[in-house]
Amino acid sequence: MAEPIIVADHVSFAYEDDGPLAVRDVSLSIERGSFHAILGQNGSGKSTLAKLINGLYLPTEGHVTVCGMDTQDDDKTWEIRRRAGMVFQNPDNQLVATIVREDVAFGLENIGVPTEEMPARIDKALKDVGMLDFADRAPHLLSGGQKQRVAIAGVLAMAPEAIIFDESTAMLDPQGRREVMQAVKRLNKEQGITVLWITHYMEEAVECDQAHVMYHGQIVLSGTPREIFSDVKRILPYRLDAPPMARLAEQLRAKGMPLAKGILTVDEMAKEVARLCK
Amino acid sequence: MALNNITLGQYYPADSVVHRMDPRVKILLLVAIIVAVFLAGNLLAFAPIILFLVIVTKLSKVPVRMMVKGLKPLRLILILTFILNLFFLQGETVLLDLGFAQIKRESLILAVHYSLRLILLVLFSSLLTLTTPPITLTDGLERLLSPLRVIHFPAHEMAMMMSIALRFIPTLMEEADKIMKAQTARGADFESGNLIARAKAMVPLLVPLFVSAFRRAGDLAMAMEARCYHGGEGRTRLRVLKCERRDYIACAVVALLIAAVVLTGKLY
Amino acid sequence: MQVTLEQVTHTYQEGSPFQAVAIRDVSLTIREGEFLALIGHTGCGKSTLAQHINGLLKPTSGRVLLDGQDIHQKGFDKREVRRKVGLVFQYPEHQLFEETVAKDVGFGPKNLGLSDAEIKERVAEALRKVGLDEPGFTEKSPFELSGGQMRRVAMAGVLAMRPQILVLDEPAAGLDPQSREDMLQLISGLHQQGSTVVMISHSMDDVARFATRAVVMEHGTIAMEGTPQEIFRQAERLEQMGLDVPSVCKLGMKLREMGLNCPEDIFREEQALPALLALWKEGKCHGA
Repeated sequence: MAEPIIVADHVSFAYEDDGPLAVRDVSLSIERGSFHAILGQNGSGKSTLAKLINGLYLPTEGHVTVCGMDTQDDDKTWEIRRRAGMVFQNPDNQLVATIVREDVAFGLENIGVPTEEMPARIDKALKDVGMLDFADRAPHLLSGGQKQRVAIAGVLAMAPEAIIFDESTAMLDPQGRREVMQAVKRLNKEQGITVLWITHYMEEAVECDQAHVMYHGQIVLSGTPREIFSDVKRILPYRLDAPPMARLAEQLRAKGMPLAKGILTVDEMAKEVARLCK
Repeated sequence: MALNNITLGQYYPADSVVHRMDPRVKILLLVAIIVAVFLAGNLLAFAPIILFLVIVTKLSKVPVRMMVKGLKPLRLILILTFILNLFFLQGETVLLDLGFAQIKRESLILAVHYSLRLILLVLFSSLLTLTTPPITLTDGLERLLSPLRVIHFPAHEMAMMMSIALRFIPTLMEEADKIMKAQTARGADFESGNLIARAKAMVPLLVPLFVSAFRRAGDLAMAMEARCYHGGEGRTRLRVLKCERRDYIACAVVALLIAAVVLTGKLY
Repeated sequence: MQVTLEQVTHTYQEGSPFQAVAIRDVSLTIREGEFLALIGHTGCGKSTLAQHINGLLKPTSGRVLLDGQDIHQKGFDKREVRRKVGLVFQYPEHQLFEETVAKDVGFGPKNLGLSDAEIKERVAEALRKVGLDEPGFTEKSPFELSGGQMRRVAMAGVLAMRPQILVLDEPAAGLDPQSREDMLQLISGLHQQGSTVVMISHSMDDVARFATRAVVMEHGTIAMEGTPQEIFRQAERLEQMGLDVPSVCKLGMKLREMGLNCPEDIFREEQALPALLALWKEGKCHGA
C-alpha cells in the first residue's frame, strides 16, 4: 500500500467552545493517488471534515497531517493548502477574477510564482479540465459545470498533490455533474492526484476506491463502495439513498431470486439477470 | 438570464493604440491633461487641447456618439453653468439687452470658457474609461498608489475590493432579478404607489439580497484562503505593466501640449 | 381551470446586440389536475416557459390564456393569474426576508389584501401542508432553520396564496437524499389533494415516479410530449439529446439487447420487480 498523504488522527471539532461536536473522533488515512469518497446527509460533518484537512479549521482535539505536516503548525498553513487544494460547492462563490485566465492565476499569484512561469501553467491547467477555449471569457457567462472546472484549474495550476472536493457537484445539473466527474477522474488516473470526494450522491461514490459514510460527526462505515452500498440495509439508517440497482436486487432477492451479492450498476444487474434467466 | 450580458462601466472594446497603452500612463496623462485644461488662460488656448482630443479619439476607434453619451448625464449642470455665468458675471461691453438682464461680452466668453472646460474634463475622462477595462484601470491605480504603502495606504486591498466587486456585480444583478420575480409571484408590487410605499416594497428584495451577499462573501473569503490568499505581501502578478514606446511618445505629446497651452495663453 | 400557451415565443433583450431567443413557438395546455414534468438541459427554455405560466414574463409573440382569457390583454388583472398560479423558483429559500416564519408565509396573503384573521388561517394551513406545524414554529426566524426547512417555509409562502396550479422549478435541487424524498412526497401529496402540478426536473427517476405527463424541451422548442410511458419508450432519443433515462429503463434496454424478452414499457422500480420475476420464472421453466 502507498504511503498515506492525508491522515486524520482522532480528530474532533466544535464550532464554538463547549458547543456540540461537528466532527467526533474521526480517524482516516488516505493513500497517495487514491480516490476516496465521503458520504453523508446534510449536517453529518462531512464538509467540516474537509475544511479541517485543508487547515481552514483547526481540530479541537486530535491532529490532521497532510504530506507529513501538521495543520496546527502555523508555518506550514500555506504549504498545506497548496499541496491539498480545495474546490467548493457554489460555483459562483469561489471565482475571484473577471476573466477565466486571471482567476486561474489567482492562486499562483498568491504563492509567488514568477510571472514568466504563469502562462504555461495556466494554459496547462485549463487544458487538463477542457476549458482552454474559454480562457478569455468572463466567468459569469459560463455554465455551472464550466465554472467548477475553472475552479479546479485554479487549484490544479498550483500543482497540488491532493484535491478535496466539498460537494462540488451539488448545485450542478446532470450534464455539469458528468463534466466535473469526468475531469476529476482523469486527473486522478492520469496525474495521480489524490482525490477526496465529498458528496451526498451515491452514484458518484460508486466508482471510488474507498468510501466512508459519516453520520452525526462520526465515520460509521468504511470500505469499498461495493461492500458498503450493495447492502441496502446497512446504509438506510444513515439517511442515504441506495443505488437503484442495489435496491432492486434486494427486493428481487426477497422474492426468492438468487441474485449474487454486490450488484451496483445497471450492467452488473443485467448480466446477473441474464445468467439466471437463460 | 436576462441580465447576463450587462456591460460593466462603459468600456468600449476595440484594438487601438490607445487601448493598448499602459493604464498607469493613461491615468497620469489624464491628470496632466486636466492640469492643462485648467492652465488654459483664454479660449484660444483650448484649441490645441481640442485638436489633441480629436486626434486621440480618432486613434482610439471609439465612436463619437459613445463619447457624447458621456456628456448626457451632465446636460443640466452644463446648461446651468453656462446660464449662471452668462448672467451673473461682471462685464462692460453689453452685447444684448433683454430688459431684465444684460448679456455682456466678457461674461459670454467666460461662460463659454467654463462650459468648455467642463466638457473637456468629462470627455477626456470618458476616453480613459472607454479604452480601459475596469479591471485594468484598477490594476493601474493599484500600482500607482502602491508607493503609498509606506504611509499604510491599503492600495492592494482597495484594488482587490474593486476587482471582486466587478466580478460579483453581474451575479448579484441576476440574483436581484430572480428575487424580484419570486416576490412578484407572491403578489409583491414594486412599481406602483408613492415614494414611501415603493421604498417599503424594496424590503422583500433588499433583505434576501443582503443575506445572499453576506453568504457569498463568507464563501468567497474561505475559497480565497484555501487558495493561499494572504494579502498583497509576496504576491506576484500574472499581468505586468510595461511602458513601451507608444507610452513614451504619448508622454512627450502631452508635455508639448501643455507647453502649447501655456504659450497660447501667454501670447494673447 | 387551465392555462394555455399559444405559439409563445420569448426573446430576451430584444433589439439589443445580446438578443437571445429563449423559447420559440411553444404551444402547450396545462390540464386541470395533471402532474406535468418539464424536462431538458439547462438553457433549453424550461424556466422561461414556467415564468410565462403565471404571467411573470410576457411573450414576445403569442398568447397565454387563463380559461380562454388572454392574460396580457388590457384590463386583465395580472394579480388574478399570480393568485391562481403559484410559482416556486429554484432555491426558493433564498427569497425569505421576514423576521418570523409567520410573517414570511403571510407575505403573499397580505399582498392579496386579506384580513389578519384570514392571513393567520392561511399561514397555519400552508405550514400544515408542508409538514411544519409544530407549535411555536411560526415565531421562529426563517434564517435559523435548516436548509430543508427553509425550503419548505418558502414553499408554504406560495401555498398560502392557495394556487390552483403549482409550478416548481427543480424543487429538490441541492437537497440531500432524505430531504429530497420528503420534498417529492410533499409535492406528490399536493397533487393527490387536487393541485395541478408543473415540475421542472433533471431527475428522470422522479419524472417516472410522479408525472402523469411529460414535456421534453430542446433549444427552446418542445421536442417530445406525452405520458412518461410514451416518453421513456423512446429512451434512445432521450439519450441522443444527452438526457438521462430512468435506470430501470436502461436495465430493460440492456436486457433486450442481450436477447431477453423484457417488456418495453417499464420505467419505474415497482414495475421492474414483477417483470424481472416473470422473466426469471419463465427462464426456470425453460431450463428445467
